[in-house]
Amino acid sequence: MKSLLIIAASAMLALALWYAAALAIVPGPWPVPPFDPSAMGLDEILLAFGHMPRGVIALLAGAALGLSGALLQAVLRNPVADPTTLGISSGAQLALVMATIHAPGLLDQGRWPVAMAGAGAAAALVMAIGARRAFAPVTMVIAGMLVAMTASAIATAVTLARGEYLLSLVIWNGGSLVQQDWSGVGKLSLVLLICAAGAAVLARPLRVLSLGAAGATALGMNVGLVRFAVLVLAVVLAATVSAELGLIGFVGLAAPALARSLGARSVEQVLALAPLLGALILSVCDGLVLTVAGLSGEMFPTGALTGLIGGPLLLWLLMRLRGSTPPGTEAAEGLAPRIARPGRALLGLTALLLALALLLVWIGRLPQGWAVLDWPSFRAFLPLRLPRLVAAAAAGALLALSGAILQRMTANPLASPEVMGVAGGASIGYAATLFLFAAPGNGLRMIGTMLGGALALALVASYARRRDMPPERVLLAGIAVSSMAAALLSAVMATGSAQSWQVLAWLSGSSSTVGWGQAVLLCLLALVLLALALRAARWLAILPLGAEVSLALGLPLDRARLGLIALAGLATGAATLLVGPVSFVGLMAPHLARRIGFARASDQVLGAVLLGAILMTAADFGARMAGFPYELPLGLFASLLGAPWLIWLMMRTRR
Amino acid sequence: MSEPLFTMRGLCVDVPGRRLLDGVDLTLPRGQVVALIGHNGSGKSTLLKTLARQIAFSAGEVRFAGRGLTDWAARDFARALAFMPQNTPPAEGMTVRELVALGRYPWHGALGRFGRDDHAAVQAALDECAITPLSERLVDTLSGGERQRAWLAMMVAQEAGTLLLDEPISALDIAHQVEVLSLVRRMCHEQNRSAVVVLHEVNMAARFCDHVVALKGGRLALQGSPADLMRPEALAQVYGLPMQVLRCENGTPVAIPA
Repeated sequence: MKSLLIIAASAMLALALWYAAALAIVPGPWPVPPFDPSAMGLDEILLAFGHMPRGVIALLAGAALGLSGALLQAVLRNPVADPTTLGISSGAQLALVMATIHAPGLLDQGRWPVAMAGAGAAAALVMAIGARRAFAPVTMVIAGMLVAMTASAIATAVTLARGEYLLSLVIWNGGSLVQQDWSGVGKLSLVLLICAAGAAVLARPLRVLSLGAAGATALGMNVGLVRFAVLVLAVVLAATVSAELGLIGFVGLAAPALARSLGARSVEQVLALAPLLGALILSVCDGLVLTVAGLSGEMFPTGALTGLIGGPLLLWLLMRLRGSTPPGTEAAEGLAPRIARPGRALLGLTALLLALALLLVWIGRLPQGWAVLDWPSFRAFLPLRLPRLVAAAAAGALLALSGAILQRMTANPLASPEVMGVAGGASIGYAATLFLFAAPGNGLRMIGTMLGGALALALVASYARRRDMPPERVLLAGIAVSSMAAALLSAVMATGSAQSWQVLAWLSGSSSTVGWGQAVLLCLLALVLLALALRAARWLAILPLGAEVSLALGLPLDRARLGLIALAGLATGAATLLVGPVSFVGLMAPHLARRIGFARASDQVLGAVLLGAILMTAADFGARMAGFPYELPLGLFASLLGAPWLIWLMMRTRR
Repeated sequence: MSEPLFTMRGLCVDVPGRRLLDGVDLTLPRGQVVALIGHNGSGKSTLLKTLARQIAFSAGEVRFAGRGLTDWAARDFARALAFMPQNTPPAEGMTVRELVALGRYPWHGALGRFGRDDHAAVQAALDECAITPLSERLVDTLSGGERQRAWLAMMVAQEAGTLLLDEPISALDIAHQVEVLSLVRRMCHEQNRSAVVVLHEVNMAARFCDHVVALKGGRLALQGSPADLMRPEALAQVYGLPMQVLRCENGTPVAIPA
């Protein structure tokens, strides 16, 4: 009864918002179908071919996403699955961006096949990773969100590398429900109808599958076939919405969750209720956007609003998610080697870093090809290139330091500032500084960014203190914070104010504007924080053994965690100021250090710092050269280096 | 020596919506191997973790070696009491010697020098647990029994007089179960330590422990010597299942479900 009331109330709200916006366009008598444009005024055309289909498509797209999410959650037995968290929508977006830039001809046949291919590829990748981890819910979502982050990074890089400085186009890429005619409604309703019929047929097998794959097989079901069919339906639905409207996040996550909290228990009930709720959610969101847009006259993509809901929702769901993970499936990997003489290896890495820096200052790219500088031009270029090289290396070292601390603190090889939301928090801090102060200088920006990073990490870590919270969930909490930050940033961008351009410049920013002052400051900070981390080496040795052992050994757990979190937050914030919020150096460098064989805490920290500096120096070179004469954002290039590494890492089987 | 190891009065532990321990009054003797037994969910692990200060109790009073449990400073507590969790975490990339050396943390702290005393304590612990030959091996490459001995050695290096072990043998085969429990028993009886061990296996408890505490549904069901436990009525009361006790040829009692 209560649930019916809620549904009715939100339906009324959606309708009222839409109606108010419609009245704002045409107050008087409305045109009735069939619409004849030649007999209508401009306002009436706007209403009949813009506003009306927009209202309908919000319902349809919401329903499609709700159904897609419900199907994914049922088939994966994973309450945090949806097209966004599994990277499916981002795969579709990437395919569309690639096609737009490199093969516009492909889009002649409509956007749908391209989106479908991208979504299918992303889904296949995430499923392949998931299959190796027994489809453990949290691992799947981590893989999915990383694929999504990677896909959007590639899309951005591809756009920028063409010199078409249309980053905003990529960031905005969709999520807007603006319609020009009824064709989108037609396509979407057809797909929705077919997929709903398919879902109805598959409802009973899905119910059997809710026992688990082994149980279902024992009952004589072809589990593989059912899974495949359901996934195809879910991917088709998500890809269609992506093709028509762009990225609309988290509706597929929210709708089934809401359905369950309203009392839907069985698979059939959730499948029936989720599309309805999805339609209502998206309609209400779009109604709110219309209202705000009516007041301020700005166009704000609805997808950005649903993205804002996504982060908190995911956090809330995570608290309630328990017991669904088979033990041991979330653990990472086999034994890493251990080298006998870490000191020599560290010296070798230092030498490598210096040699690389020297080499990269010396060679460069000219319009005709590659060039090695002669002595006079070397001396001329040195003051230009050296500061940014030093700054990049310091930033890499800082990120790696933060990653090494986080990985040791959480005993989780996937922990890193990027994944744990520190970078996201840092970017919120950056944006907040821009808005709070009239003309913040570099120092103020740095403080703001560092504070933001530390705060985000504190949020995630306070969450991690719950005793029954395994590390994977903490990671997911961090990812939720990251996605919230991303949504917030695109909302800031949508305001179109002076600050939003600064944020944009920073997001796409590179190290090209770095002067000696900033470079030296970063370098000093890296050295100080490194020294502090080395002082805490004993904590870093004990903490990977978990809270129980740490407590039993009398380690001041709260103090140690707080101190290390502050350290990692500061390091990330400082580096993020230069690199921007995306890069995987903080994840890669400590992991690489461990794989090389730096086993002890202090060795791993030192090795990671050196490797981070090397990686970022190389990334800086790549960012300058890859899109020559245009410069790619440094962090973006670093994340492109990191992406294949990360996917490989997750694909590896345990020995 | 007259001071008991632990004294509990009306000890309660709550989690949201449930009471795990309900008014436990108990005194544990010093210098003995004490077994904590009970059915699944009886609260035996909860009790052990409460005594180890891994979880906080919600009501009642607990005294450890004459002082209130919460009055101990973290370092002093770790010097007096060592705890081994049920699932020992993977010690990524650590050698046995490094693991055992971590037991010295309560003594040297975060920044103190790892001195001669520390080296000596680590070596003594390795010797006592007979894992010196394995000391340069990676912990994660050891077999289950060897790994358990390495963790025991870490507790020995901690030089704590009291050892709390949460199901130390649950993942081991029978030979290693006997090996580990014999070691614990020897560590207590020869070095004058006290141990509280959560055990699933009632026969192992009876064979290796000096004193048995049985919990049932969060309350104290029974305590006494192994002989007190190994009676059909007592076992039936603890496990809620008819049990019978057989005698081996050497007189050792063995309990099996009737």
